[in-house]
Amino acid sequence: MTHPWHQPKPRPKSIAAWPILAAVALGLWSPAHAADTSTPPQAGAAVLSVTFKGLKTLSGAILASLTASPAAYDGKAPPAGQATAAVTGETVTITFSGLKPGLYAIKAFHDLNGDGQLNTNPFGMPTEPYAFSNNARGMMGPAPWSAAAFEVKAGPNGQTIDID
Amino acid sequence: MNRRSLIARISALAAGALLPPEISQAAGQLAIGAALGVDWGLAFADLDADLAPQTLKRMSGKSPDGLNGALYRNGPAKFRRPGGNVGHWFDGDGLVRAFRLSGGEATLAARFVDTAKRRVDTAANAVVTPGFGTAARPGARVGHNDDTNAANINVVPVGGELWALWEAGSPIALDPSTLATKGVRTLRSDLAHMPFLAHPRLEPNGDIWSLGVMADKAVIWRVGRDGALVSADTVDLPAASYVHDFSATTRHLILVLQPLIADRPTLPYIDGFTWRPKEPTRILVLDKADLTERRIYELPAFFAFHFGDAWADKDGTIRFDACVSDNPLFATRNGREVIKGEWTPLPPPLLTLISLSPDGRAKIERTDVPAEFPRSDPALAGWPRGLTIHATGDGKGPLFHGLATYAWRTGKTDTFDFGPAHLVEEAVFVARQDGRGELDGWLVAPSVNLAAKATELHVFDAGHLADGPLCTWRADTALPVSLHGAFVAA
Repeated sequence: MTHPWHQPKPRPKSIAAWPILAAVALGLWSPAHAADTSTPPQAGAAVLSVTFKGLKTLSGAILASLTASPAAYDGKAPPAGQATAAVTGETVTITFSGLKPGLYAIKAFHDLNGDGQLNTNPFGMPTEPYAFSNNARGMMGPAPWSAAAFEVKAGPNGQTIDID
Repeated sequence: MNRRSLIARISALAAGALLPPEISQAAGQLAIGAALGVDWGLAFADLDADLAPQTLKRMSGKSPDGLNGALYRNGPAKFRRPGGNVGHWFDGDGLVRAFRLSGGEATLAARFVDTAKRRVDTAANAVVTPGFGTAARPGARVGHNDDTNAANINVVPVGGELWALWEAGSPIALDPSTLATKGVRTLRSDLAHMPFLAHPRLEPNGDIWSLGVMADKAVIWRVGRDGALVSADTVDLPAASYVHDFSATTRHLILVLQPLIADRPTLPYIDGFTWRPKEPTRILVLDKADLTERRIYELPAFFAFHFGDAWADKDGTIRFDACVSDNPLFATRNGREVIKGEWTPLPPPLLTLISLSPDGRAKIERTDVPAEFPRSDPALAGWPRGLTIHATGDGKGPLFHGLATYAWRTGKTDTFDFGPAHLVEEAVFVARQDGRGELDGWLVAPSVNLAAKATELHVFDAGHLADGPLCTWRADTALPVSLHGAFVAA
C-alpha cells in the first residue's frame, strides 16, 4: 500500500478507555445519580460511619458513593447515598444515616483538585486516588461488588477505607 | 525441559544421536558450556541486595587516556521469591548499575530502583505484581500502571537526574551519584501514570522524544533536556501493535507497528497480543513539527525489539537499521524459559536496513549478520551515518557472545567474539574528546564471565574491535545481564 505524504488527517475523537495494563474502567463516580440521600428516620434504621484514612494530600474532598445493589455499584441504578467531605486532615469521616439493614458497597475517590470529577489521563486511567469498601482492589477495573460488599446491621456500623 | 533433565537425556542417548536437530543443537551448546564449566543461568540469577561500590580488578590492558565518566546501565535482577517467581525475564526488579571510570581505575555500584512493585512483592515475599509476562497473585496492589512499573529496561541522564525507564509507566528519577530513588516523575498532573517507552530518541543537544502506547493510541512525548515537558499529544495508530522502540530523524518520528496485535485486554500483558504474520508491518512516519502530517508504509510482517537512529538522504528517503526476527518468539516464549533455566534454539535477529521513499515505497534489506542492541554515535542521532554497533551471536543459547560493527556501504564487519564463556551486554559508543569520524572513540560494554562467575567491563577501540579489548576489569561478583544504558562523560 502506498500513500502520498498528505494523507487525510485522522478525525479527532475521544480516547476510549482500553484497559490494557491496570487501566481502571470509568464509572467509579456517577454525578448524574447524585441525589438527596436523606431518608426519614425509621425504626430499625442503621447508621454507617465511614472513615477514610491515610490521606497524604490535604486538599480537595472525598467523594463517596454508597450503593445497595450490584446494579447501583455498576452505575446502572441510583446509589443509596452520596456524600462529599473536605479533606483537611489525614482522616475524613462520612456518616450515612437512615439506612435499611442489608448489603452495601462504597466507591470513593479523593478529588484532589476539587473539580467534582474523577480525573483520568488520556488513556482513561484515574489520576486521582480511589478506593472501595473492604479496601477491595480491582485488577483490570474497579473491585467487584462481591469483594466490596459488606453487611450493615441495625444501629451503628463502621467501615474504614485506606485511600491515597 | 529444564537443563538438568536435558543433560540427563543427552547422556542417556549418547549425545543426541536420536534427537531432533534443534535439540541436538541445544545439546551441542550445552556440551560446550559443560566442558567449560559454565552455566548461563548465572546471567539470570537473583541479586538479593544492592551492590556497595567496589573497585574493579584490572585483568588486562590499560584504560585509554581521556576515557572518564560513568556507564549507567539498567536491567532486571530479582526474579524469584519464596511465594512465587516472575513468569518472564522482563519482569524482574530494575537494578541500576554505575561503572565509573576515572584515571585508569574502574568502580562498580548497583542499586535496585525503589518501585511500588518491589515494595509490594518484598512485603508479600512473592512476586504478586503482574507484568509483561507474569500473572497477578493474591496480594497484588494495582491501582494504575505505575503500581506495576518495574523500572527495569533503560536508564538515561535527564536534567541532572537519571531516569530509570520501563515502557508502560512513568520515568522514575534517581540520584546519579548514589543511585537512590527520588520518585516517580509525573510530567504533568493530568498525564500521571501514562506509559513512557524505555527507548527515548535524543536529539543531539536538543529535545528528548518518547512514546507511550496503549492499543491503537499513542502519546508523543517531547521533553527538554532539563526534564520539563515540552508537549504531549495523542495520535491514532493504524494498528494496535506491541511497541517497544521507535526511531527518529531530525525531522520525523518513525513508529514501526508490527502485527503483534493487542486484541484482548488481559494480564500478563503479552498474553493480550496475537501474532498475525499474514498482516503487514506498518510504519507510521510523523512530522515532529505537525503530528497530523503522516505517512503510512507497509512491509511484510517482521518482528523487532530494537531500531537504530534514523536519517534522511538528500532525496528524502528515510533509512534506519533494525534487528529483525521472523516472529516474536523471544518475547512470547524464550523470555519466559530463561527464568526456568530453559532455552529453545531460536534464529538470532538479523541486522536489517529499512528504507522509506518519499513516493511511498518501503524496502527491507536483511543482512546475514546476527545482531541485537543496535547503537551508534549519539552525536549523529537523526543524521546520516554509515555504521551500526551491535551485539552478535548464534542464537543457540541465550543472548550474545560477541560485539561487532557493520559498515552499510561496504558490508564489512569488525567483530570480537568473547567465546561461549561470556554473555556480552549492549555496547555504548564514547567519542574521543577531539574525535573525528563515526568510530573515533571507544566502545564500553560489560559482560558476564560465566567461567569466572563475575561481571566484567571491557573497553574497545571502536574502530578495531577484532584486536580485542584495550582494557578489561573484573568485579568480585556476577550481576545478572543488563539491558540498556548510557555513558555520561566526566
